[in-house]
Amino acid sequence: MEANEILAKAESLRNDLSTGFRDEIVKSLYTEAENIAKRAVKGATDKKYDFDQKVDRLVTSPYAGLPIMLGLLGIIIWLTVSGANVASNAIAFVLFGIGDWGRALFNQIGMPWWITGFIWDGVYLGLAWVISVMLPPMMIFFPAFTFLEDLGYLPRVAFNLDWMFKKTGAHGKQSLTMAMGFGCNAAGVIATRVIDSPRERLIAILTNNFVPCNGRFPTLIMLATVFVAASFPPALTSFVAAGTVVGVVLIGVAFTFLASWVLSKTVLKGEASAFTLELPPYRRPNVSRILYTSIIDRTIFVLWRAMQTAAPAGAIIWILANIHLGDTNLARAIADWLNPFGLLLGLDGVILLAYIIAIPANEIVVPTMMMVYMGAGMMVNGPSSNSAIFDLLVNGNGWTMLTAVNLMLFALLHNPCATTIMTIYKETKSLKWATLSVVMTLGTAFVVTFFTASIARLLGWV
Amino acid sequence: MTTTVWLILAIILLIAIFVPRVGLLAIYKTYRTTQEREQVEDALKHLLDREQHGRQASPESLTGALSLQRGQVIRLIEDMETQGLLESRGVNLFLTTEGERWAMHVVRAHRLWERYLTDEARMPLEKVHGESERREHSLTDAQLDDLDAALGHPTRDPHGDPIPTRGGTLLKEEGMPLTAWQSEGPVRIVHLEDEPALAFEQILAAGLRLGQTIRILDRNPQRYLLTDGETEYRLAPAVAANVSVAALPESEIARASSIPLAELTYNQKAEIVVLDEAVQGFTRRRFLDLGLTPGTVIYPELKNFFGDPRAYRVRGTLIALRKDQAAQIWVKPV
Repeated sequence: MEANEILAKAESLRNDLSTGFRDEIVKSLYTEAENIAKRAVKGATDKKYDFDQKVDRLVTSPYAGLPIMLGLLGIIIWLTVSGANVASNAIAFVLFGIGDWGRALFNQIGMPWWITGFIWDGVYLGLAWVISVMLPPMMIFFPAFTFLEDLGYLPRVAFNLDWMFKKTGAHGKQSLTMAMGFGCNAAGVIATRVIDSPRERLIAILTNNFVPCNGRFPTLIMLATVFVAASFPPALTSFVAAGTVVGVVLIGVAFTFLASWVLSKTVLKGEASAFTLELPPYRRPNVSRILYTSIIDRTIFVLWRAMQTAAPAGAIIWILANIHLGDTNLARAIADWLNPFGLLLGLDGVILLAYIIAIPANEIVVPTMMMVYMGAGMMVNGPSSNSAIFDLLVNGNGWTMLTAVNLMLFALLHNPCATTIMTIYKETKSLKWATLSVVMTLGTAFVVTFFTASIARLLGWV
Repeated sequence: MTTTVWLILAIILLIAIFVPRVGLLAIYKTYRTTQEREQVEDALKHLLDREQHGRQASPESLTGALSLQRGQVIRLIEDMETQGLLESRGVNLFLTTEGERWAMHVVRAHRLWERYLTDEARMPLEKVHGESERREHSLTDAQLDDLDAALGHPTRDPHGDPIPTRGGTLLKEEGMPLTAWQSEGPVRIVHLEDEPALAFEQILAAGLRLGQTIRILDRNPQRYLLTDGETEYRLAPAVAANVSVAALPESEIARASSIPLAELTYNQKAEIVVLDEAVQGFTRRRFLDLGLTPGTVIYPELKNFFGDPRAYRVRGTLIALRKDQAAQIWVKPV
């Protein structure tokens, strides 16, 4: 028979098919698979099944479910923040040591100062800073997260929280991609692949940035310690600081829900897609697989992308700090020019400049700010004691409590970093959605900070 | 000096207007061609619709359907006659073979789009028609074939209208208006007329949907009273005329004693009877992939603390479904 005849025959036969013939095909596939499985696979014991069921009842129960979930999330974040601090200092010690050595070498062989400065104080310092701040938290957070994933616990979290996401038109699995966002928003955006319906997946991608990633945690922790916790007795300092950060995170979660709801009522309007969620049996985690997926697939991947953008950022920062106009440098001049707009938002010009430069990686926001405030020629850590930082910011540069609060809000809500924007573009293959993710977050940040600043000024608080 | 500036400005202006494809003139031309094509296609659709309902089309009916000026319509008809798409005999207009072929193409595009928007994009049913009206003009036959294949060669659009094949054959519309149905017993809704939109919205607002099994409780000149066994629906006779019904097919009779999965109590075992007609496309594939096929034993095992979603044990795995999904799977307790 000719090909066309066969097609025509198929066309004519199609009309006689019953409507459910696809169901029948799948049914016969399953019957066949069942027969094979019956011969080849031995079923799990009842004991294992009973155990799984007991655990499931516990982790989804009204009284134990939520505390277990929050407890685990708390432990992971605490492990990440405190563990990363030690490792970051160690890595910074080594990398900055190499930088000092390189600078000395260049000086010795008589390189012009600007080549030495550009390479070692600019490009290299940018790279070293991002690696030392970014690598340790990811090395702790991702394995811990993958451990829970491998254990089979994470789908239960999605199951527990789905009712909230359903109300905002989103998918329960968005809770998992949000949790991933604490590690890194770019990784969170990639993680949305687990959401199989396109509409809900887009919501999860676009709102992931409202969860602060660990590149933004240092800023939040610094502000919480210096501004909020300082007015409490020393014994309570770390608790108050931690509590403040948790509060900021909760504000971020609230904005995630708000944004999801608005998106699902406007640009992403549509019916709720199929919510199907498999709750796999609990498994003994496979250590080598955990290390592989968390280190290779996630950490290295994210770090590599961040390094690609951090090196040019380092170069730009150095150039801005070392081109002098009269008695001030370019960075200061731009900051002064941005200042009126910054003040309108309850921030200042230096903060806005730091956020523009830090689009590639949020890790360098604080060092860039300190550089401009202290008039240094390269990124610096700032004063070593909290009271000295307080003094520099408040007495030296006119900060108020409003500046600190609004900077926290801005750090939480502002546009995604370049890596995340690039990832959003790659995942959605659409310039439109990548642009919307920036406009939406930046717009929210401007509106919210302007609003709080205006209220504070109206009530005469500052 | 100033002359040079003016000269440069003039050159830029000329380029902006006349450059091929992206110039202003080219954009305007494309816009005009698209607009003309849309008018022609809308006219063809109107003629086909009239023909299928055994009514005559005329310049007057066309003016109403396209909401154009009378002069524009006359010009449009002349254009279409020269293109060999229609013939006018007396006051009436008739499609030529070529015109009918093209009209079928547009109808096919419209209904395939409706299917796509409902099943895959999951757009609300009341918006699907308007969106398809906008999208039906842009695809070629080959692109439609691809869309058709990707959707799994659907035979009917979400309102129950048959989708023409590429060759232009159209299944006969089954069923008759609710107002013409005389016999007793349960019937199935086989078609919801989506025009006029106002009546369609009332049908949807009442809660009726395609594939639903209903029974006529009472009819009088003021209203029709229907029931699906639980809820009662009231429709004005003018609206009821837009609902077509037919006798129940065999598979529906099997469903008679079944209940939705969402109504099972904990650990109450049941056998899946059928997936609801309303579940198509993406959602249906997902259900089938997960092994929710007819004949499978399933029972609710785990509840969320808000009662929704619930997790069901099926084929040894635990699968969580929201209440509205579980309501679309019909089961029989065993």
